[in-house]
Amino acid sequence: MPINIKEKTRTGVINPIFTCQPAGAQYASIGIKDCIPLVHGGQGCCMFIRLLFAQHLKENFDIASSSLHESAAVFGGVPRIEDGVMTLLQRYPHIRTIPIITTCSTETIGDDIEGTIRKLDKRIKEQMPGRKVKLVAMHTPSYSGSQVTGYNEAVEALVRTFATAGVKNEKINVFTGWVNPGDVIEIKHLLAEMGIDGNVLIDTETFDAPTMPDKSAFTYGNTTIEDLTDTANAKGSIVLAKYEGGSAADYLKSEFDVPVAMGHLPIGIKNTDAFIANLAKLSGKPVPKSLVEERGRAIDAMADLAHMFFADKKVALYGDPDLVMALAEFCLEVELKPTLLLFGDDSKQVAKDGRLKELGDKVDYEIEAIWNADLWELEEHIKNNPGDIDIIMGHSKGRYIAIDNKIPMIRVGFPTFDRAGVWKKPVIGYRGTELLAETIANTLFADMEAKHNREWVLNTW
Amino acid sequence: MPLKLFKCDETIPEREKHCYIKAPGEDITEFLPASNVETIPGTLSERGCSFCGSKLVIGGVLKDTIQLIHGPIGCSYDTWHTKRYPSDNGNFQLKYAWSSDLKEKHIVFGGEKQLKKSMIEAFKEFPEIKRMIVYTTCATALIGDDPKAVADDVMEELGDVDIFCSQCAGFAGVSQSKGHHVFNIDWMKEKVGTHEVEITSEYTVNFIGDYNIQGDTYILEDYMKRMGIQIIAHFTGNGTYDSLRSMHQAKLNVTNCARSAGYIANELKKKYGIPRLDVDTWGFDYTAEALRKVGIFFGIEDRAEKVIAEEITKWKPKLDYYKERLTGKKVCIWTGGPRLWHWTKAFEDDLGMQVLAMSSKFGHQEDFEKVISRGREGTYYIDDANELEFFEVLGQIKPDMVLTGPRVGELVKKLHLPYINGHAYHNGPYMGFEGAVNMARDMHNAIYSPLMKLAAIDIREQK
Repeated sequence: MPINIKEKTRTGVINPIFTCQPAGAQYASIGIKDCIPLVHGGQGCCMFIRLLFAQHLKENFDIASSSLHESAAVFGGVPRIEDGVMTLLQRYPHIRTIPIITTCSTETIGDDIEGTIRKLDKRIKEQMPGRKVKLVAMHTPSYSGSQVTGYNEAVEALVRTFATAGVKNEKINVFTGWVNPGDVIEIKHLLAEMGIDGNVLIDTETFDAPTMPDKSAFTYGNTTIEDLTDTANAKGSIVLAKYEGGSAADYLKSEFDVPVAMGHLPIGIKNTDAFIANLAKLSGKPVPKSLVEERGRAIDAMADLAHMFFADKKVALYGDPDLVMALAEFCLEVELKPTLLLFGDDSKQVAKDGRLKELGDKVDYEIEAIWNADLWELEEHIKNNPGDIDIIMGHSKGRYIAIDNKIPMIRVGFPTFDRAGVWKKPVIGYRGTELLAETIANTLFADMEAKHNREWVLNTW
Repeated sequence: MPLKLFKCDETIPEREKHCYIKAPGEDITEFLPASNVETIPGTLSERGCSFCGSKLVIGGVLKDTIQLIHGPIGCSYDTWHTKRYPSDNGNFQLKYAWSSDLKEKHIVFGGEKQLKKSMIEAFKEFPEIKRMIVYTTCATALIGDDPKAVADDVMEELGDVDIFCSQCAGFAGVSQSKGHHVFNIDWMKEKVGTHEVEITSEYTVNFIGDYNIQGDTYILEDYMKRMGIQIIAHFTGNGTYDSLRSMHQAKLNVTNCARSAGYIANELKKKYGIPRLDVDTWGFDYTAEALRKVGIFFGIEDRAEKVIAEEITKWKPKLDYYKERLTGKKVCIWTGGPRLWHWTKAFEDDLGMQVLAMSSKFGHQEDFEKVISRGREGTYYIDDANELEFFEVLGQIKPDMVLTGPRVGELVKKLHLPYINGHAYHNGPYMGFEGAVNMARDMHNAIYSPLMKLAAIDIREQK
């Protein structure tokens, strides 16, 4: 049945699905090693995002602010960037790059970021001879796009700044999009099984930092300047989230002739199959038996759950567009019905995404997709159609809709601060898919027990 | 050397003015750290913006009010789900975030139409809510939108609604403190005196500067009730919009957080002659003193003593249990400002603990005068401390625990230091007699957690 795509009709937003662009740029930047981003704007634009990351990841990340005050709003904020960069470089000798992330205030004032960088490059050369540091302009006015486009802009800015033609190698760039560290680990596992030397961007595996006996470990990003530089020399790029890293891969294609495979986020069997196929194609390597087994184990586990517990249950999904579209595909595989999809993006590109049409064509029931949506749309839908939604899948900002309406909710995406350790577990790959199916099942089981709703079924399961 | 330049600050020597170590025989006429001045860019300061001072700290607490943020989506999203202030009406204020969702075209052509539509819509979607606060942000301040004119239009059009505009862009002032100030003064100018509540007691107070963190307000209101005192307005814990319009009816302003809400107490004194009584409502001895002061003001000392006696009987044995285990423990307090002076002596008197370093994000001179007067010799008093300074302080004083926010808490955990949430608490409330025991319990549990001791063991060196 054709999918029913519509736009939110209200003007304002009640309970947003996303935050603004600078947050996405900050998330990409903390994934870079020897890097402290400088957010050029009011102090809240940085402080609240650091808090948000700490809520989600239960870790501290270093992000600096240019501490824009009234005088800068009147006379321009360039001196605040200059002071900020110099202070960071003086006090943090390990820093090799500083992304300068703009916000609504500094874009409205019209500070010349590129010009300031040129000026600063000269100053650094004079005052700190031998110091190798790259300043990266990231234009992320908060009044355009969302955290999704901000992340995309940041990854592209990093690649544009660092990618340099050198000796071609056998590596494959994998642009993951804004996924969890648990997903990055899973992607690396799949690459290792395939015997492929991958360049995972952005590599957030180290976000899960241990507390060490000698107190030495702190949280940092794991993508190095060398990794970014080398993206130009890879055998190919695979993009897992079109809206979150796609333009960086396109740039590498046009500038350095690195072939691109635009894929889907590998959630679910078919999406993961496609990722494996892309890996095999770009690398020329065969698919090992270990992955056939891993896939088989996932199907085995999912088959225990699908028609027994999941069949015909209606799911509402919200979050990053690539995540929601991949989750919807996964739902079909386990007999769940993804009947309501909410996209926070105000971009028509998302509304016209071919994956949505394909999704509708696969089912004989109506799927409603709302773009430029907020979580009030979901709340209203549930209020006006009691009993229509059986499961909610999304990030923690929608938690009260689930709590107040007593609908079981599975936390996926960003942020998931109201559940422990979600960010460490993958939803990607065969193993992530298996884990996701089991998480859904266990959430439903807990709900059956809490409501005394056929909980006796589980006496013998 | 009373002022201290940290090693990490050698390249920004102006930071020396911001850190004071109290020396024997010195007093606050000689040395005070510089405060409430601009942050040095790139220092990794802990400060937020003034918009959040207005919205998140004060206005956003109100339990019956739509909080419409006029700006790009982030200002609304980012200040949502960051506070632990419940209410007795189902936590309306925690569940919803509203935004006019400003886009590029509004930056170019103005955002007032967008704001007006968003306001009318919000009232329509929440028909039972008749009160709204509109907040300007960096973007809408820069383009010069006039939210007040829009609010007047909407009030006229809808007839039965009341709207307050907080005009405090994020870049205003040097920290969230500016936002507190703007909200206080503008609310006083525009809203106090426009509504009246029914008076049911000859003893009436406004309770000012408590935000119902994890239920603090409920504890304080219980004490007042037992003393037969009517609270006209609670600014703003579990508060309502209209009660704040009625603040002129109270006979006394009981003020806890002098930094975020001292302004409105002063203004009420100026305009209506209502006296301001400053109290500390954290700490066991302090709470008793606070109730006594209020009792004396109204000539109902006996009622105050009765409440104090009942509470002490109930909670003192529990407090003593923790005191025995906490005596001599060393802590740091890294919070906003006032909690430094509310807590340092309370920890010392109630629990025998030592506060060896304190950092204030947005305290003013007055806050440092108070904390240095109350605090210990040899203690660090730092304004707007940054991350590298924190590391240096920890290395020097080796505390048993840090009271700070969750993000910094994650950082100190790597150094095997437990933290207690000094902003939103671990398991509060922390105010009043009961709260002092809760806080002692949480600090005790943190300090005696087996995990931090396990963290220090290197299994490669096990015998």
